[in-house]
Amino acid sequence: MKTITVGVLGAGRIGRLHTDNLLRMPGVRVKAIADPFVDFTGWPPDGVATGVDPGLVLGDHEIEAVLICSPTPTHAPFTEAAAAAGKHVFCEKPIDLEPGRIRRTLEAVERAGVKLQVGFNRRFDPTFARVRRAVVDGDVGTVQIVKITSRDPEAPPVSYVQSSGGIFLDMTIHDFDMVRFLTGGEVAEVFAMGAVLIDPAIGEAGDIDTAVTTMVMADGALAVVENSRQAVYGYDQRVEVFGSKGSAEAGNETPNRVTVSGADGVRADNPLYFFLERYQASFLAEMAAFFDCIRDDREPPVGGLDGLMSVLVGQAAARSIVERRPVPVERP
Amino acid sequence: MNHITVGVIGAGRIGRMHTENLVRAVPGARVKAVASPHLDQGWARSLGIPVVATDNDVVFDDPEIEAVVIAAPSGRHCELVERAAAAGKHIFCEKPLAFEPGPIEAAGRAAREAGVVLQVGFNRRSDPSLVDLADTVQSGGVGEVQTLRVTNRDPKAPPVDFVKRSGGLFFDFVIHDLDTVRFLSGSEIVEVFAVGAVLVDPAIGAAGDIDTAVVTLRLASGALAVIDASRQAVYGYDQRFEVLGSVGSVAVDNLRPSTRVLSTTGGVVTRTPYGGFVARYRDAFVAELRSFVEAVSAGDPVVATADDALAAVRAAAAARASLASGRPVRLESAAMAAAGDATS
Repeated sequence: MKTITVGVLGAGRIGRLHTDNLLRMPGVRVKAIADPFVDFTGWPPDGVATGVDPGLVLGDHEIEAVLICSPTPTHAPFTEAAAAAGKHVFCEKPIDLEPGRIRRTLEAVERAGVKLQVGFNRRFDPTFARVRRAVVDGDVGTVQIVKITSRDPEAPPVSYVQSSGGIFLDMTIHDFDMVRFLTGGEVAEVFAMGAVLIDPAIGEAGDIDTAVTTMVMADGALAVVENSRQAVYGYDQRVEVFGSKGSAEAGNETPNRVTVSGADGVRADNPLYFFLERYQASFLAEMAAFFDCIRDDREPPVGGLDGLMSVLVGQAAARSIVERRPVPVERP
Repeated sequence: MNHITVGVIGAGRIGRMHTENLVRAVPGARVKAVASPHLDQGWARSLGIPVVATDNDVVFDDPEIEAVVIAAPSGRHCELVERAAAAGKHIFCEKPLAFEPGPIEAAGRAAREAGVVLQVGFNRRSDPSLVDLADTVQSGGVGEVQTLRVTNRDPKAPPVDFVKRSGGLFFDFVIHDLDTVRFLSGSEIVEVFAVGAVLVDPAIGAAGDIDTAVVTLRLASGALAVIDASRQAVYGYDQRFEVLGSVGSVAVDNLRPSTRVLSTTGGVVTRTPYGGFVARYRDAFVAELRSFVEAVSAGDPVVATADDALAAVRAAAAARASLASGRPVRLESAAMAAAGDATS
């Protein structure tokens, strides 16, 4: 297997997760990590260069692929710089909060002829991939209703909400991508109803913490995503695709299969607490897919258009809240 | 035990079911008469019902009959409620009372003024699982309610003839879900947004109705609710309910006629849910009649009132208005629009 040399921009939580996965992955060599804010004492292990300057990664001719795990506003400029340097790019979602900026970035990637994969890890979750397979295999027939429940275990700090682009662009964006992934279709129109029921500070910051978003798909199917910033019992991640021949449904993942029965009831453990635990397998699988695509010269399974579409759907949802009406999704 | 003497109006599928339940499973009731234009005499005799008639007056004019169960076609419900109230009889009436608020208000007023009990056939309010769910929510088991979810899918689309006189998906089918949201949350519906589609049977679309819908609701408490409805789930009657709150969530899953699990190299197979509402809500249909008899004989609170029927119909009218306009509809304006329709 050909070994691909990779550099990482951003060593926050997700950057470290990917790096640790790559350090154990055959056929990949992590050469350098740059982050202006992180203290690299004790991590990463010897043999990986570290520094504050992104040029450490972008200027290294040996590095063929770059992982962009830095804050959202840097995603587009780093993707463009990496593409211009002829490097393949794996970029965390969202590419940017502005569709115009995303389009320019995708043009730069196109011109450079490099590969771009976007970090919609849930597509690589074995459970959700199995639901998609039931759709592809025809087990549910023609899709009629897609239903997604997506609830975080705890609300993020208000400082995060202020810069995240809001619930639709930082949280529901994964669900919008999941609707597109499960159906293989595009969202035509979005209506969202929202409320502040968990933390008034989120409302004061101009965001909502609870939302129900309905979508009409281009082929006429309906979809609904229900979000909450806080389900106290853990990360609640369920999907269902219902169609003319039946339905495919995925429940929550729990750490074990044990039920304890007593006089007061039958008890099982809570769902896996948050995304690092719940989607562990998907983070590995998305990396493996990215490097396989580079080796085999194939298009990544989740690319720039997916990154753009999810933001366009998210923007329509946000506008729907403000304008209190259904909003058509802008064309890519 | 003091028996309540009951007359049944209408002996279609639901009327026969209620009659059989009254005879076999409601100890405090005695069915004296059944009136229906098309009646199987042998069926009535087998249940030991002494009076069988084609004329409803035989029931209304019988002084011994204290309570009536109305299971005639939907279009006649309110008229029969008013007639029964005028005759001083307690009333159990199938849903929907009517498709417009006006006649429901009049029927409720007639029952109130006559001093008789009026219970509406929102059977889910008597389902053991949903009663448990509502009790859990109302006793604070999930804290402050934030989101409610209802999945309602029939096993098989009804004939188009039925669709034409049913009042449409919202009034005939989703009305149960609208009532369930009120029942579970204890809060009123203040805003409705509906999207709908014809994905099951084009003939339903040709009849001017839809067969698939997602309805989003905002409640007076601030909570949100979402209903997804389909006229046809090929795997059975899909009835699931969930309430998320500040300290947890509580859910009711589908019931199955058998808990058998078959595991082979081909996979793990459980039985599909009950095949329809008669089987799924069998206990609820008995319990709602028992509580009606208790309301009549002991003055217990009525589990589903004319006001509940009114609120559900107003919400259904708002869903219809939302579907037509493509906009969310506030319930005050929906009520006004419906009143306008009724007077025009």
